[in-house]
Amino acid sequence: MRDARVTTSILGVGAVLLMGACGGGESGARPWSLEASLAEAGSGIPFCEEVTARVAEFMSQYEGQMPPSAQYGGAAVVGSIGEIPDGMNGHVSQDYTASQHQNFVNLMTLVAYDADANPTPYLAESWEVSDDNTEITFHIRDDVYWHDGELTDAYDVAYTFERAIDPETGFPNTAYWTHYDQGPDGVQVVDSFTVTFRMRPHADYIDPWRATAIMPEHLLGDVPSATLRQHPYGTVCPVGNGPFIFVQHRQDASWTFQANPAFPQALGGRPYVDRYIYRNINEPTTLLTDLLTGQLSVYIRPTPDQAQAVLDSDAVDLLAYPFRDYILVGWNARRLQLSDKRVRQALTRGTNREEIVDALLQGYGTVANGSVPPFHWAFDPSVGKDAMSYDQDAARALLEAAGWEDSDGDGVRENADGERLSISIKYNEGNDTRQDIAEIMQAQLAEIGVEVAPTVVEWGTLLSQITDPVDRDFDGVVIGWVVEYKLDDTDLFHSSSFSGAYGWSGTMRPDVDRLLEELPLVVDRDEAKPLWAEYQELLVDEQPYTFFYFPDRLDGVSKGLNDVQMDDRGEWVNVKDWWLSPDERR
Amino acid sequence: MRTFVVRRLLGAIPLVLGIATIIFFVVNLAPGDPAMRFLNPNMSDAAAEQIRVNLGLDQPIHIRYVRWLGALAQGDLGFSFTRNRPVLAIIGEILPNTLILSFTAIGVAFVMGILLGIVQAVRQYSLLDSVASIVGLFFYSMPSFWLALMMVLLFSLFASVWQWPIQFPPSDIQSVDYVFLGPMEKVQDRLMHLVLPATSLALVLAAGIARYTRGSMLEVIRQDFVRTARAKGLSEPVVIFKHALRNGLIPVITLLGLYLPFLFSGTVFIEFVFSWPGMGKLVVDAIGQRDFPVIMGGTLVFANMVVVGNLVSDLLYAVVDPRIRYD
Repeated sequence: MRDARVTTSILGVGAVLLMGACGGGESGARPWSLEASLAEAGSGIPFCEEVTARVAEFMSQYEGQMPPSAQYGGAAVVGSIGEIPDGMNGHVSQDYTASQHQNFVNLMTLVAYDADANPTPYLAESWEVSDDNTEITFHIRDDVYWHDGELTDAYDVAYTFERAIDPETGFPNTAYWTHYDQGPDGVQVVDSFTVTFRMRPHADYIDPWRATAIMPEHLLGDVPSATLRQHPYGTVCPVGNGPFIFVQHRQDASWTFQANPAFPQALGGRPYVDRYIYRNINEPTTLLTDLLTGQLSVYIRPTPDQAQAVLDSDAVDLLAYPFRDYILVGWNARRLQLSDKRVRQALTRGTNREEIVDALLQGYGTVANGSVPPFHWAFDPSVGKDAMSYDQDAARALLEAAGWEDSDGDGVRENADGERLSISIKYNEGNDTRQDIAEIMQAQLAEIGVEVAPTVVEWGTLLSQITDPVDRDFDGVVIGWVVEYKLDDTDLFHSSSFSGAYGWSGTMRPDVDRLLEELPLVVDRDEAKPLWAEYQELLVDEQPYTFFYFPDRLDGVSKGLNDVQMDDRGEWVNVKDWWLSPDERR
Repeated sequence: MRTFVVRRLLGAIPLVLGIATIIFFVVNLAPGDPAMRFLNPNMSDAAAEQIRVNLGLDQPIHIRYVRWLGALAQGDLGFSFTRNRPVLAIIGEILPNTLILSFTAIGVAFVMGILLGIVQAVRQYSLLDSVASIVGLFFYSMPSFWLALMMVLLFSLFASVWQWPIQFPPSDIQSVDYVFLGPMEKVQDRLMHLVLPATSLALVLAAGIARYTRGSMLEVIRQDFVRTARAKGLSEPVVIFKHALRNGLIPVITLLGLYLPFLFSGTVFIEFVFSWPGMGKLVVDAIGQRDFPVIMGGTLVFANMVVVGNLVSDLLYAVVDPRIRYD
């Protein structure tokens, strides 16, 4: 399975010759008709039989309806590695692909972000915040129907919030709601389409409503919170209110959705494509083949070494854009060798990250010097740029200042007690890029007298080793974080997180603590920006991680699929506006 | 015969339970935590703990084992941690895919392998024998995933680039517009999707089977009873297929017993390359996700396959060799 690299270089040659994706099929718009597969979803499960029958009944009024214009029709097929874990069950999931499908495909969020991360109305028509920033009132649209015909209302919103804060649910993103009042007065339904929440002032008070899909109270209201995870709603027969109706889920193979003819005109009406299909394909070479032969309209995240084959093809485009994740090498400062920040600085300065980004990512990425990715308003490219630039002499000087010198001439430095400057860097099995990083660091750091042992560990085991507050069985670890718009590093770098799951570095600084406490409370961005810069400079000095790079997100998109917008909000952000050129329809 | 089958099946129960018990403890005691899938600074430790409670992982392991056994006795394999459905329903949906692929591959492999082996034995040291041996060895020594990737490149990608009259879909068991197809088109669509994965599996197997058949046939056709059959004036096909083959097949049937269970687990690579939603892929995914109930359910299926596979090959011995009786 590891051989993908060899075969994709062969693919590169083939792609030049590609004559064009196979299209065919009828190009005329088709009348709307509910797909028969829905009737089979969850047959034998009473809940599913009941709701799918209700969906069929409600949707029967749209049978035979012609789409408004010739721009409508066809099937958009998206291929990606992996299932959609937890499916459409927003109560228990935080998986990226799952959230994307909940928020943009099958369900709706109260607000959406525009390309500059400004909140815009979606399920909520409008909202007001009290002057003291302690109350927010949402006015919900009165024309959004659940696919079974019930109106979406304020009770659904209140219900979604109550489930999220109910500890029994085990909602994995508890931090979304920490500044919301979780007491009995926290949420108040004013009328059927108006709901008020109480909160403490916070810089990103609106952000949770961008990330949380509203769930149907009338279907799930009676289900005990602790068993929500196992409810067939999630992966067998979801009923949403979003632009696409669920019609079929084939386990470990595909999810099929159909355009929702009842989606409000004010929000753009029904999506352009008749069908949207998510396919789970596990092998990058197969995914690329499917894209290049026209079986897929979108290939989510081709590997960097496949980028050229995508670029060379006449039938597909490569989209590359900065995303919300970063790759890092986390240092365990509890270790003698790594306890001095000068050593950690030296490890960063002794590694040529620029070269690694060019070589491993074919340039699709930016060297990182902090935890704020380029998409974020608080990003400052100048932070750490010079202070952490590649400089072997500076790195050697730092190590000497910290008391590590090679006194016995074996090429590895020792301290006064004779301890060797020898560390391991762990990475997870099956990730070639991270393995390459560990191995290149081994070679480069050897030049400044640091012995590095790259160590491969199975993913689940690695997570246990680094998150166990007692053992912390690692020196360095190559890993990645995906950050949210609501950026908060408290669990990573605050002293109180020393024994928390994510306090990997174990670094503690009062000035970092103070800023981490202050930042979330500054509502005004202009006021917050200098504070963020100050915080980033402290991180550069402390080097709890060697922040490695911000990878660009890559996507392969068929040229026949138009108006595709993909950015830091995700691949599916405007899936309802995608439309297929007539000869690409099937 | 019937008592033999019943006795074997009853004897298999403690065996399967033993396997399941060992796997249960290995899987549950191995490092890793199903709640780790949610690893994210946005998740509080309390939420992680609650997820463990909701998944039933807060109980000590012996309690979990007893509960799991109790549920198993009632035919309940529990709920998947990631797919959030009963494991039984998942396996019910996935197992047929694996069976279709395995039986097609094994059928093709044995027919191809045995025929090739017979030809090679009868025409020993001919040009045909040498060529078949080299080609066979080539496929036999080839890693199946590599062969599979080459199949994808050649018969999907290049077939499309060079506009061959026929090209095969590289992934899944059916196309996305399967629901709109007529009955005959559906069959054709499924067959088209079956060609590449089944061939990739069958080629490797057939090469091995041909080697075994050739060796065993060479031994048999030199024996006295074959010379006697020829001396009686029987035609050559009857001598080979009726007299020699039945005796030559015995070691090949042992091979069937070995290959059957292998095919259910050994298709993993093929299932990954061709995105075939089958048992091997399911269980390997589940191991990565620490989805204990799915791992356990899958393992039980595999264990049963081994038992059934061995039983089938034992019964086949009696069919080809009248001297073997199970009374």
